[in-house]
Amino acid sequence: MSPNRNLLLLLLMFLSLSITSSLSSPSPADSPPYLWPLPAEFSFGNETLSVDPAVALIAAGDGGGSPIVRAAFERYMGMIFKHASGRASLLARIRFLRMVEYDITSLKIVVHSGSAELQLGVDESYTLMVSKKDEQSIVGAVTIEANTIYGALRGLETFSQLCAFDYLTKSVQIYKAPWYIQDKPRFQYRGLLIDTSRHYLPIDVIKQIIESMSFAKLNVLHWHIVDEQSFPLETPTYPNLWKGAYSRWERYTVEDASEIVRFAKMRGINVMPEVDVPGHAESWGTGYPDLWPSLSCREPLDVTKNFTFDVISGILADMRKIFPFELFHLGGDEVNTDCWKNTTHVKEWLQGRNFTTKDAYKYFVLRAQQIAISKNWTPVNWEETFSSFGKYLDPRTVVHNWLVSDICQKAVAKGFRCIFSNQGYWYLDHLDVPWDEVYNTEPLHGINETSQQKLVIGGEVCMWGETADTSVVLQTIWPRAAAAAERMWSTREAVSKGNITLTALPRLHYFRCLLNNRGVPAAPVDNFYARRPPSGPGSCYAQ
Amino acid sequence: MIFITHKHCTKPPIQRLCLTCIYKERDFYDSLLFFATFFFPPLIFIFTIFRFTKREKMRGRGAKIAGVLPFFTLFMAGAISAFEDIERLRIWPLPAEVSHGGRRMYLSGDFKLVTEGSKYEDTTEILKEGFDRMLDVVRLSHVVSGGRNSSRSGGSALLQGLHVIISSSTDELEYGADESYKLVVPSPEKPSYAHLETKSVYGALHGLQTLSQLCHFNVKKKIIEILMTPWNITDQPRFSYRGLLIDTSRHYLPLPVIKNVIDSMTYAKLNVLHWHIVDTQSFPLEIPSYPKLWNGAYSSSQRYTFDDAAEIVKYAERRGIHVLAEIDVPGHALSWGKGYPSLWPSKNCQEPLDVSSNFTFKVIDGILSDFSKIFKFKFVHLGGDEVNTTCWSATPRIAQWLKKHQMSEEEAYQYFVLRAQKIALSHGYEIINWEETFNNFGSKLNPKTVVHNWLGTGVVERVTASGLRCIVSNQDKWYLDHIDAPWQGFYDNEPLQAIKDKKQQSLVLGGEVCMWGEHIDASDIEQTIWPRAAAAAERLWTPYAKLATNPDKVTTRLAHFRCLLNQRGVAAAPLVGGGRVVPLEPGSCLAQ
Repeated sequence: MSPNRNLLLLLLMFLSLSITSSLSSPSPADSPPYLWPLPAEFSFGNETLSVDPAVALIAAGDGGGSPIVRAAFERYMGMIFKHASGRASLLARIRFLRMVEYDITSLKIVVHSGSAELQLGVDESYTLMVSKKDEQSIVGAVTIEANTIYGALRGLETFSQLCAFDYLTKSVQIYKAPWYIQDKPRFQYRGLLIDTSRHYLPIDVIKQIIESMSFAKLNVLHWHIVDEQSFPLETPTYPNLWKGAYSRWERYTVEDASEIVRFAKMRGINVMPEVDVPGHAESWGTGYPDLWPSLSCREPLDVTKNFTFDVISGILADMRKIFPFELFHLGGDEVNTDCWKNTTHVKEWLQGRNFTTKDAYKYFVLRAQQIAISKNWTPVNWEETFSSFGKYLDPRTVVHNWLVSDICQKAVAKGFRCIFSNQGYWYLDHLDVPWDEVYNTEPLHGINETSQQKLVIGGEVCMWGETADTSVVLQTIWPRAAAAAERMWSTREAVSKGNITLTALPRLHYFRCLLNNRGVPAAPVDNFYARRPPSGPGSCYAQ
Repeated sequence: MIFITHKHCTKPPIQRLCLTCIYKERDFYDSLLFFATFFFPPLIFIFTIFRFTKREKMRGRGAKIAGVLPFFTLFMAGAISAFEDIERLRIWPLPAEVSHGGRRMYLSGDFKLVTEGSKYEDTTEILKEGFDRMLDVVRLSHVVSGGRNSSRSGGSALLQGLHVIISSSTDELEYGADESYKLVVPSPEKPSYAHLETKSVYGALHGLQTLSQLCHFNVKKKIIEILMTPWNITDQPRFSYRGLLIDTSRHYLPLPVIKNVIDSMTYAKLNVLHWHIVDTQSFPLEIPSYPKLWNGAYSSSQRYTFDDAAEIVKYAERRGIHVLAEIDVPGHALSWGKGYPSLWPSKNCQEPLDVSSNFTFKVIDGILSDFSKIFKFKFVHLGGDEVNTTCWSATPRIAQWLKKHQMSEEEAYQYFVLRAQKIALSHGYEIINWEETFNNFGSKLNPKTVVHNWLGTGVVERVTASGLRCIVSNQDKWYLDHIDAPWQGFYDNEPLQAIKDKKQQSLVLGGEVCMWGEHIDASDIEQTIWPRAAAAAERLWTPYAKLATNPDKVTTRLAHFRCLLNQRGVAAAPLVGGGRVVPLEPGSCLAQ
């Protein structure tokens, strides 16, 4: 079957489903499993297979035996068999010595590369085959095949979404088998920003966020660690910096940050740290007041002092030990240079160099870029740096869009790489953007040349923290981040054609309930405003 | 042991202990911080900053200034009210009796559980798992370094473990059984072990919760510390019933969500999960005796198997929490008829359950028979509220039946409730019913009935005066779905208000906050429950004399508990405003 025909088939099924969905909630038995994000190519059949709660992992290939794969397998088995009955039937099976015959008793994971390196552009493709083991089929049971262990993780997520607990037989079933899925992401960078400066997020909460990202196949956690409000991270080289934390309890040690990076890597997620200079850094001065232009005018960082750049260099040196990802975000947005103009010693310095404040802004950003590059990092900067002095930016710079809708268009035309985060649609703190607007936002809009399209490495949804703390962060992220996640993972054709109320909404409802079932407090899909409570009693699948 | 000797002090022993510590430790800024707190709360912040910036340099000078401290403290001692000191303790809910010192200790990297001398064997590992959970929440996912390195922990003052002595050997969770505990954390001179003495393992679990709140992660040394040692805490709950209602009919709550709620309840020492399983909207639970009942679930997947329910009960019981199952008959049971339409008066008049049919009571009997296999709590909740009986008169078949038995609609309501009570009794349950049953035919209720207040005031007095037991949940204060109800009202709501008679007081088993689910699903349940449920939890746990008469006095301590919940991954909402508020601007958790 060709992928297009599959899609058509799927579309028809959604159509027929939407007719009945007003009468009854989705029943897995008579509809295809609701995969999110939609795989690149897939076909399925009409059989129902049962899955053994004691399903065995058969690892093959150089990377099959990786502890990351093993840990992921255990994680997903926990999610798939979370109902008590799963274990009960396992007991029953032991008792009656294989009285219960399962169709699927093993899960084979073939990983060709033994490397555990996780970098931008790592191969995340995989194939997933599910079929009954019999004389005719060459492959038995379930096979996930991938080039890297991270591709295998994506395949495991898809497999977990094929599995459904059947309340009548009290066993886990896979409907519409045999399945053949060949999948890969459309963009290599699929990010989510969290902001631990406006509100501290406890480690446990960050882990919950990372875990939930893996369900939607997002792969970069953009950690906006520091801003003007607080500086929660320990930096051993300049130990007074975290005096800028809100309190003693609202801090991350170096070990905590490393643990977060490790936890993310286990789920195939990179962590990109950000120090946003020079405009969003007031909290640095709590520990080192010299970084402020003056006590009464505290932002941006003092451009005149070598100390400022020494501190940046120290922070980056410390962070290099924690964050192995090749991208580092240097911010550079919303720089109001009034303090530079109004502080005598800075003003004199500007005059001495014959600098305008804009020149000084450029000087600052470029010097910070060189520090990052010297630490073997590729700098990412918010778009104002490109729109203000784009031709001076290091050619390796990745421009991060947020303000202007066509900035990626302009940046890639100049040969820069770009990350798309149009605030009108992909800022999650904008509560008045419903899921369909998030879904319909296309990072490649207006970019037609293939060579330029390739420079858009992906996109990112941003969960700015002014009004999002532990109590609401997850329900503000989900389910809307999932809408963007499918836009970035699935093929452009799959997400752009047809009526999304039929092709995407039922699956998004289903994915939101899946998140809830896994303990993630994703908010109702249908509310116009994000993170609002359900409008009344009802099924999760209809809200 | 030195801390015992302070029992006879007329002044609160706290200050005396601290004086001792000042002489010995000369930890000047710590002590100054301590006194400044009594003196003028805003000073804390200044001193905190000062202490952190200057601490190392000032040590020597602190020793000199320590000479004048005794005068200062003597002067202060008279002015200090014990209450304000208690507020500094940051324990929620406040224990019955606390004394403490002013010294710092650290937990060893391999902090151990020791049970020598305990009659309780812990074969089911309830204690061991509780101990491990305690360490988990204390570490708060931080990477904790060993603590055995003496240079890091400041030499001595290392606690090796916790010695738990439990005098009762049973691990049966019995309602009304002793939940008390005695927790002692020694002073740095005699480090080795902290001690926890209890009657039952469930008292020990409470003690572990308290211990977890004494522990902090020291971000500089990266080890767990306990401040203000030695500690001597004797504690027990004021009420034996401290409940939280969840509603899985208006919205289905997935298993991990219910388990998270149960875990969060233990932090506030609540002990009854009232599971309002079924209502008009959906019937999510499997009932083996009548397998079509869960056809009334919202969908094929928004269901609990019988084993799931057993698992939830087990999960809760291992944490010292009873699960009170409810079927709300006859008024809130429309969803039953999805599987068995003959339970409806008619197709177009579907509630209350058909009073005239024996089948109705057979189904109730089947449900309660199945319940008795998994819900081991001594009570079952039979609902009985908001019964609109017009469907009975409007359905000819039932109208005829009423006529034949010479019953009014009201009498049929009474007949239904009493017959359901008898069925519950036959399965060994005592019964809880919502207050309308008492208001309408209180004298007819079985004497084993516990009346569950929700509507009005004055009910508790009347119920206890009639000799029945009562649970307080007046909706104006303790309904969590009332989003505009602030935490202060939850704190202030006194179950024994206007009940002077000792015997009547003893009939008030406790209270319950209710998280009705019309607008509550997996996405917003935690932040609607917390932190307001915690305010009620202290009302139900802490001795009356120790409760604040003005709730605003406990704001800082409650804010701290809310942040503690956040640190433990519970999505407790900010304090400012009503329920489920979102932070309005950037800021510290402690200030919102």
